[in-house]
Amino acid sequence: MIKSVSFEKTVYNDLPYKFEAGTPHIAGVIGLGAAIDYVNGVGLDRIATYEHGLLEYATEALSAIPSIRIIGTAEEKVSLISFVLDGVHAHDVGTILDHDGVAIRAGHHCTMPLMQRFGVPATARASLAFYNTKEEIDVLVRAIHKAIEMFG
Amino acid sequence: MSDLRELYQELILDHSKKPRNFMKPEGADRTAEGHNPLCGDVVTVYLQLEDDVIRKIGFQGSGCAISKAAASMMTDSVKGKTTDEAQAIFEKFHALVTGDGTSDPNDLGKLAVFSGVREFPVRVKCATLAWHTLRAALKGKGETVSTE
Repeated sequence: MIKSVSFEKTVYNDLPYKFEAGTPHIAGVIGLGAAIDYVNGVGLDRIATYEHGLLEYATEALSAIPSIRIIGTAEEKVSLISFVLDGVHAHDVGTILDHDGVAIRAGHHCTMPLMQRFGVPATARASLAFYNTKEEIDVLVRAIHKAIEMFG
Repeated sequence: MSDLRELYQELILDHSKKPRNFMKPEGADRTAEGHNPLCGDVVTVYLQLEDDVIRKIGFQGSGCAISKAAASMMTDSVKGKTTDEAQAIFEKFHALVTGDGTSDPNDLGKLAVFSGVREFPVRVKCATLAWHTLRAALKGKGETVSTE
């Protein structure tokens, strides 16, 4: 932000205003407020309980797949499951799951040293949130079986 | 499933499980490394040029089925070719997988199995990584190429 501008000279505003670039992100601030109201309306406790239930359900369902290895098993972890399949690269898993409408993330997740630590080139990662359902986890599991079958 | 099978054709699955020329050939005098940083795919191409002809070629690395099969079939298809011929195959291959419509799959022989890639834009980089790396190796500058 400036105090005055002429052809000869620019005078910047005092600190901290001089580091504000033009109009602030007003719509974003209002949007964030609405999002916080929404989450509070649902209730953080309810969200955490529900997501924990999804995580338990998904962990059990995925663990039953013989060629799967779940990466990250901390007791208090959030509702994410990173996994690798024997003989199927995470990116191929991603493409096959995507085909059944299941969007996961695949790759090294910007943590290449961690991939090295676990001795894997990449992982597939399903992120569960309070708008997901157990039925969707069933679709995920079926799609994983499809990937295994294709590369079997 | 049908267009997934278009992508993962039997020949591609076969090459990804049993990559050909998966080694550093003896006497290789040119090499280049290729990275696909967003995926973590990495490939090293080794070759020996003799009178502008690719006499020996091999590769090593890790990646998804598409990138592995593409590297394997790339080595098969350019062995014994001149650098110009190899470059011409790459251009046709590139046109095929990006689906710009200028490529006739019939000109590409076995490489035509990659025609399904054009339906999966995010996988184009997987299919072309080894080819970009080949081009760097042919230039002989030992440079590292990146798809980003």
